[in-house]
Amino acid sequence: MPDNAGFMFAAYIAAALVFGGYVLSLIVRARTMARRGDAIDSVSRS
Amino acid sequence: MSPARPPGLFAAAWMIARKDLAIEYRTRSAFFASLVFSLLGVSIFYMVWDPTAVRPIDIAPGVLWTIFAFAGMLGLHRAFGLELQTRAMDGLLLAPIPRESIFLGKALANFVYVASVLAITIPAVVLFYNLEFGSGLLILGGIGVLAAIGLVTVGTLFSSMTVHTRFAELLLPMLALPFFIPVVVPAAQASAKLLVGAELQTVIPWIEVLVAFDLMFGVACILAFPFTIED
Amino acid sequence: MSDTLARSLPSAGASRSVKAPAAVFDWLLAIAVVAVAAVLARAIWFTPPEALQGEAQKIFYIHVPSAVVGLYLACPLVAIGGAMYLWLRDERLDRLAESAAEIALVFLSIVLVTGPLWGKPIWGTWWTWDARLTSTLFLWFVLLGYTVLRGAIEDRQQRARYSAVLGILASLLVPFIHLSVRLFRTMHPQPIVLAPDKPKLSAEMGLTLSLAFLAFALLFVALLRGRLKYAALRDRVEALEAGDA
Repeated sequence: MPDNAGFMFAAYIAAALVFGGYVLSLIVRARTMARRGDAIDSVSRS
Repeated sequence: MSPARPPGLFAAAWMIARKDLAIEYRTRSAFFASLVFSLLGVSIFYMVWDPTAVRPIDIAPGVLWTIFAFAGMLGLHRAFGLELQTRAMDGLLLAPIPRESIFLGKALANFVYVASVLAITIPAVVLFYNLEFGSGLLILGGIGVLAAIGLVTVGTLFSSMTVHTRFAELLLPMLALPFFIPVVVPAAQASAKLLVGAELQTVIPWIEVLVAFDLMFGVACILAFPFTIED
Repeated sequence: MSDTLARSLPSAGASRSVKAPAAVFDWLLAIAVVAVAAVLARAIWFTPPEALQGEAQKIFYIHVPSAVVGLYLACPLVAIGGAMYLWLRDERLDRLAESAAEIALVFLSIVLVTGPLWGKPIWGTWWTWDARLTSTLFLWFVLLGYTVLRGAIEDRQQRARYSAVLGILASLLVPFIHLSVRLFRTMHPQPIVLAPDKPKLSAEMGLTLSLAFLAFALLFVALLRGRLKYAALRDRVEALEAGDA
């Protein structure tokens, strides 16, 4: 059996990075958007 | 004389195409830019290859059709860019003509322009790369027509969309190039076969792909076009 | 307090505070992530490797489910959502197409990254231009173009129409790219699970793969839900801002 476990771990880590990066970007974008929404709230309050 | 009737689908398309071609004929801006681009491209490609390692006949088809796709794209943006100045597009939209005829007219003008660039580029490639086509040149011309139709239908539709976006000139290649693959690959493969003097039969599958692409995207683009110019 | 204020704002859909749906990482996504992690842990440590290919064969527990979810769940949604939008003109359909496109891009990126990492040890090459690989790569490019196009248009309805047109045309393009490349010889392994005569996966491998499909499908649903929430929030905030100005 060929010894190529390194490729397997590399692939699993790479996939995790792509996915994690996307979820992080989504969370950041949603948070920014929520902040913009709050800003409207405070503007209309004044 | 009877009162003026609005022109039909093809009559209106012909009027729009003639208008665009007249503008292009007087300014010759896009045509010359594309022509010089493709001639330069063809000669640069020759020089970056080692002619003792790779025979010119092997790279010529690929060069021809790649340059064709890029040169064609240079001019596609112009089709609707023209109408942007002085908001001429509004006039077209107000005209009592079917929306589809705007697309057909623009595509027809683009076809004439792309085909004329191709008509000069093919002989240039034959000349620069010392090719001997013989009777295959006629079939190559036919492939050129099919490829130009495919390039122009998709390209015209996308240019009508990207012209309204930011960084339009950059976005058009990004959207259109993947759609040129089923045009460029069969055209290049078929020309390569013709160049080595293969039987016509071996070329037929590639021509079928081209015809299918032209029909499918011709219909799809005409149907989709009205959605891109709603207001 | 801010709830009542938000309610009093003169804009459609502002019945709740804009803050409320901000949590895109919710319980469903958490469950999906745990499920995928559990299946992959099972794949790495508790599933026997294939005798000929070695450990690298296990890449396929990520690669294949990602490809199936991306190509057969997410991508069709882009075209279908777009076509339905042109018909019904409901903004939610446009958001569906938009979200599906972005998630398809994520899954296809995973496919394109894990594929070469499997190909190098097994095929001996990182990349080969066969029909599947080529069409996946160009589909990835089209999706990228789709996302950039969306970012380049300000007007919301125009953006929705243009991207719908692009989505529909892209669905016509894929078979053509496939066909163009198919006319060359192809060396991608036929899907071993679907071919009846080929040696079957062992029962344990089959179970892991089935679980992986389920987990990735769940992940897709959860991601799509989160991305839709974000899109709805963004549209609401933008509408509020436009109303304020």
